[in-house]
Amino acid sequence: MSRRPHIEPEELRKRYPQVFDPPITSRLATPAMLAAALAILVFGLVDLDFSVSRLINGVGQLGWISLMMLPPDPGSSLPIYLKALGETLSIALLGTTLAAVFALPVSLLAARNVIPSAIFRFPVRRFLDSIRGVDTLIWALVWINVVGLGPFAGVLAIAVADFGAFGKLFSEAIEGADQKQVEGIRASGGSALHEIRFGLMPQVLPVIAGQVLYFIESNTRSATIIGIVGAGGIGLQLAEQIRVLEWQKVSFLILMILVAVAAIDWISGKLRFAIIGQRAVA
Amino acid sequence: MLVVDGLTCRFGAKAAVDNASFEIAPGGFVGVIGRSGAGKSTLLRAINRLVTPSQGQIMFDGVDVTALRGRELRQWRARSAMIFQQFNLVGRLDVLTNVLMGRLAAMPAWRSLSQVWPEQDCALAMSALEQFDMASLAAQRADQLSGGQQQRVAIARALVQQPDIILADEPIASLDPRNTKIVMDALLRINKHFGITVLCNLHSLDLARTYCDRLIGMSAGRVVFDGAPSALTEHIARELYDLEANEVMGGTPMPVPEGIPALGTAAAA
Repeated sequence: MSRRPHIEPEELRKRYPQVFDPPITSRLATPAMLAAALAILVFGLVDLDFSVSRLINGVGQLGWISLMMLPPDPGSSLPIYLKALGETLSIALLGTTLAAVFALPVSLLAARNVIPSAIFRFPVRRFLDSIRGVDTLIWALVWINVVGLGPFAGVLAIAVADFGAFGKLFSEAIEGADQKQVEGIRASGGSALHEIRFGLMPQVLPVIAGQVLYFIESNTRSATIIGIVGAGGIGLQLAEQIRVLEWQKVSFLILMILVAVAAIDWISGKLRFAIIGQRAVA
Repeated sequence: MLVVDGLTCRFGAKAAVDNASFEIAPGGFVGVIGRSGAGKSTLLRAINRLVTPSQGQIMFDGVDVTALRGRELRQWRARSAMIFQQFNLVGRLDVLTNVLMGRLAAMPAWRSLSQVWPEQDCALAMSALEQFDMASLAAQRADQLSGGQQQRVAIARALVQQPDIILADEPIASLDPRNTKIVMDALLRINKHFGITVLCNLHSLDLARTYCDRLIGMSAGRVVFDGAPSALTEHIARELYDLEANEVMGGTPMPVPEGIPALGTAAAA
């Protein structure tokens, strides 16, 4: 004798019609979405003059440049390049740190569970939004005009642009914190400051630290780009060598940047695990 | 002496606590019983002022708790220590720091914020942990402990607040039977040894009868019973829980259905 339950398909079909015969609209939803996405892609390619012939002609040029890059060779400029790379790393590190230090207190003001009143929170959020709306590159151009060419403008550009980004990310991390832990502090007689210091910060700091580490890594790339427009660092050297068609130096510089980014990635990974690990924080 | 007089807590149109009045003499172990949603939690949270009462008054030793603000309010919260169903410890802080949170209202802010804890407070915290066999775990992170251990840390935190009354909100609802006994015994010990009044929400009538010397029954926000556990008749229990009384009292076991019901018929029955 079988121990399996007896199944009557007809009975079940009658009882749950939406499972067995879903309405035509829900069956067509996925194909319709795919068709729409494809249509947008085709329209975009046509509108932006996507041309296979130009690409094929260009590939030859690309191959030529790649050949010119071999072997990578800094010539006699290695000390200058190393100094420039150090400058780029310092711009990224200083800019990100400044952004984080200033964003933390402001992000508290933008968090719903710290400032319940929308009237006070709204202007802070819009302020962060408008700063974030302007890209790092634009901030670099602005600061170069204010404080002149050089790494100082780069630090300011990254600090300001990421202040906006951090403000939003931190406040979201704070809003995601477990309120029960904060309530435990309040119920024991802690003040609002205690609630932030002991209830929120232990929960939020590991998240924030992870975000800051990631931004340092990504800002190493940003610092290269803003270097090209004149904010100092290795980007400036890179732009210069592309302009004078010194492709061997260009490839060497690109390799230096790759190695630096990989090293920072590795270090920040180690640090992140150390921070979110098992140790108690305070 | 805690006096609750006409206490009402409204959330929107719904009154979670509706015109509750009672007095609690020092040293009692009072259980608050009733179904989920009867207003037990809100009542305790209102006494600690985590919830602001809409109407009525809470007096403690002649002080109007409902009117306290700022520093005085924080000191009242320390005097009326809360214990929560979910423990409400800070998971990433170590056990000792969690217990020291109970001292926040008793020291200047610069000391606590810079974590320069007075030696005396550390000693107080360690001795509280020792009472519940938790001293060896002082350096552990709170979120690495089991539920029963976390609740004992929470009780230690409540104890170092040197409270006049402990408000325990379903302290054992997240625990297994063995830890239930450990935690309830700990509360009883605090009550008997230190003479601290305990006001404890429970939904298990058996536990309430075992540990409490007085029961307050709530239903739909109202106090519908107030008396000794022995005075809680089957009729009142039935009213409180809206159930057949023997299911609540654990008297006669549930009748075993004849044969094994076929799959799918259980829901219909």
